[in-house]
Amino acid sequence: MTSLELQNNQRFDVSSIPFLIANDFHKNVIKALSNGYRMMALTPIDQNVSEKIIAVFADNTSSSIHIIGGVFDKSKLEFESFANDFPQINYFECELSENYGYVLLNHPWLRPVRKQNVILGNKPYQFYKLEGEEVYEVAVGPIHAGVIEPGHFRFQCHGELVYNLEINLGYQHREVEKLLLEANQNQRIILSESIAGDTSVGHTFAHCSAMESLTQTQLSLRAEVIRTIASELERIAMHLSGLGGVSNDVGFALPASSYGRLRTLAINSLALLCGSRFGRGLFVYGGVRFDFNDEIINSMKKNLEVIRNDVAEINNYLFSSVGVLTRFEDTGTVSKELAQSIGLVGLAARACGLEEDARISFPYSAYRYNPVSMITLSSGDVFARARLRALEIDESLKFIFDQLDNLPSGEIKYAVGAIKNHSGVVSIVEGWRGEIVHIAFTDGNGNLIQYKIKDPSFNNWYGLSLALRKTAISDFPLCNKSFDLSYAGHDL
Amino acid sequence: MNDAIKLRISQGDPVIHDVRNVQFPERYRGLPTIEDKECANGCNKCSEVCPTNAIKLNPLQIDLGLCVFCPLCEEACPEKIIHFTNDYHTTVDSREKLIVTKEVKLIRSEIASEKIRKYFGKSLKLRQISAGGCNGCELELNALSNVNFDLGRYGIEFVASPRHADGVIITGPITQNMAKATEICFEAVPNPKIIILFGACAISGGIFQNSEAIQRKFLEENKIDLYIPGCPPHPLTFINGLLDWLDKK
Repeated sequence: MTSLELQNNQRFDVSSIPFLIANDFHKNVIKALSNGYRMMALTPIDQNVSEKIIAVFADNTSSSIHIIGGVFDKSKLEFESFANDFPQINYFECELSENYGYVLLNHPWLRPVRKQNVILGNKPYQFYKLEGEEVYEVAVGPIHAGVIEPGHFRFQCHGELVYNLEINLGYQHREVEKLLLEANQNQRIILSESIAGDTSVGHTFAHCSAMESLTQTQLSLRAEVIRTIASELERIAMHLSGLGGVSNDVGFALPASSYGRLRTLAINSLALLCGSRFGRGLFVYGGVRFDFNDEIINSMKKNLEVIRNDVAEINNYLFSSVGVLTRFEDTGTVSKELAQSIGLVGLAARACGLEEDARISFPYSAYRYNPVSMITLSSGDVFARARLRALEIDESLKFIFDQLDNLPSGEIKYAVGAIKNHSGVVSIVEGWRGEIVHIAFTDGNGNLIQYKIKDPSFNNWYGLSLALRKTAISDFPLCNKSFDLSYAGHDL
Repeated sequence: MNDAIKLRISQGDPVIHDVRNVQFPERYRGLPTIEDKECANGCNKCSEVCPTNAIKLNPLQIDLGLCVFCPLCEEACPEKIIHFTNDYHTTVDSREKLIVTKEVKLIRSEIASEKIRKYFGKSLKLRQISAGGCNGCELELNALSNVNFDLGRYGIEFVASPRHADGVIITGPITQNMAKATEICFEAVPNPKIIILFGACAISGGIFQNSEAIQRKFLEENKIDLYIPGCPPHPLTFINGLLDWLDKK
C-alpha cells in the first residue's frame, strides 16, 4: 500500500504525501479499507484546489494514521464509489461531492449532508420513501419539542415499528471551516470553542494541538495535565447530562434531577479553573491560560468527591430498577459487525464492543504518560450506552484525582513559533462523544489553506438511523438521547 | 421505594434560594468595567486582540452584544483599565444598554410595560429556537430547569409548541438554513408575544458575524424585548433579568 504513515499530531511536509493518479488512488484506498482501517477524512488539501484530495485512515492496531493522496483531472472530478463495499465511506463521499462537486460513479445513496434544497444529479433530492398498505411517514423538525438543536427526521413506519429513519441535517451550518481559514489566531480559538458548545474543550484541544504541531511548539507537562483534566471534567459533565437525559426519557424523574444536580457541580468545577462552565478561555496556543492553586484544587476535589459518592448511589438506583432495564435493554441495538462496517466511533462504538478510544489508540498530550483504561460493553443497546457512561464517569474521576494529587510543576504556557510552510497535520482527540479529528494544511507563506473538522457525530448519526430499525417509534427519544449527538458539530 | 426516599433525602436542598446574591467563582467573567484612566497614547491593544470587534476606542467602549467574555482585552491592556467583574446581572432591554463605557458600572433592564406585566407577570411560557447555536446556550437554558436553578418556581417555563408560548428565546446567529423556520415558528406564537435574544451569537452574530451562511433579517424586522449577553450567558443572568423585567421580587 502506498501511503504516508504518521503518528497523531505529527507535522509532515505536504510533499511527502504520495499523490496517485485516479486508478492507483482507487486501488490503494481499497487496500487500506481491506486492511480494516477506518476513514477519518476525505478532502482536498487546499480549499481552492479541488483536484488534489487525500483519504485519511486510522489504523488502531498500530496507532498510526495513513494518508493516501489522489490527483484528478480538473475537468473530470470523478471516481468509482467505495461505498457499496465499504458503507463507512458513504457519508464522506457525500460530503466530498457536496463541497467540491465530485461525481461518484455507482454511489448507492447520494444525499445532502449540510445543504438544503439541494439538486443531486439534476433533480431535487427526494427523501427515501416506504410504500405499501398501512405504511405511514412521520416527519419531525427542524424545531423539536425540547430545548435542543435543529434537525429534520423522517420515519417510515409500519404499525409501531420504524423501518427507516432518515436524518437530514445542515440547519446549523455556519461555515466554521471557511471562517477558520480567514480568522486570526485569537478568533480561531473562539471559533473552535463554538464548533460544538458541549465539546468546547475537546474541539479546542484538537485545534490547539494541530496548531502547536504546525508551529513546532512544545508544551509543559503541567499544561498538558491541566488540558486533560479539563477534558475529563467535560466528559463527566456531559455523561451526567446524558444519564439524566435517558432517565428523563423513561419518565424516571428522581435520577434525572439528581444527575442534573451533579452535572452542575462538574461544570462549576471547570468554572473554578477558568471562569467558564464550559472551559472557554482555558486554551491558548502553547499551553493554558489558567493555573491551579491550592484553593482551586481543594474545592474541585470536594466537588468531585460529592459526585463520586452520589453518582454511585444514583447509578445503583437507576440500573437496578426493573422498569428502567425493561426500557433500556434490547432497545436501539447496533451489532458489533454493523458498528464496524459503518465506522462508528467513541462511546457508541465502545457500547457495541469495538475498541475505539483515541486516548488509548492514538495517545496524545498527558494521556501518553497517564493512560486511561479502555472500557467496552457488548450489547450495543440503550443499556450499554447508558451503563458505559456510568463506568466512564468513574474512570474519569479516578484520572482527575490522580492528576490533582500529582500535578507536575512548571510553567503553563510556552512561546509559540511561526507556522511552518507547506505543512500538514492530523490531530485526534477523544471528546466525550468520541473521536474528534482536525486536519490543517499551510501554504508557502504559513497561511492555512485547508482546515477540515470531523466531529464524532459525523460518523455516528447514521448509527442512530440504523439503531431505530425495527424499533418502536415511541422509543426514538430514548435512542436519540442514548447517542446524544451534536448537530452543530456535524453541520459546522 | 426505600431506596427512592433515601436518595431523595441524600439530595438535600440543592435549590439556589437567593438568586440575587450568588457568590461566583473568582475567575468568572461577568460585566466588564472600564476604569476612569487615560489610555496610553495611541494604544489600541485591546481592540486589536478582540476576536469579535467588540471594542471601540476614543472613547473606549465595549459592546457586550458582541463580547464573548474571553479575557483577551483584560490581558492585553498595559494600563489595566479593562476589568471583568463578577457581576452577573447583565440582562438589558435595549441594544444601547449593552455598550459599556467608563461611566457604566452596572446595567439593568427597565421594568416592562404594564401590558406585558399584566399578560406575562405571573406566567411566561417560552418557545426556544436554536438557530445555529452551538449547544452552549442550549445547555444553559436546559440547566435552568434543573433542581439548582428551578426556573418553574417563578412561573417561567419552556414549552414544546409555539402555540402554547408567549414568546420565543433565540440562540445562535440565525443560519440561512434556519431563517425560514425561525420566522414560521415566531408567526405561530399568538399575540402579544415577546422576543428574547440569548447569547452573543443571537444578539450580534458574535464570532460568526462575518459568516455568509447566516441570515439575520428576522431580527431587523421584529422588536426585541430582552438581550442576554454572554458566551454562553449564565442561567442566573437569565433568571435575574426576567425577574427585574417582570418586576418580580
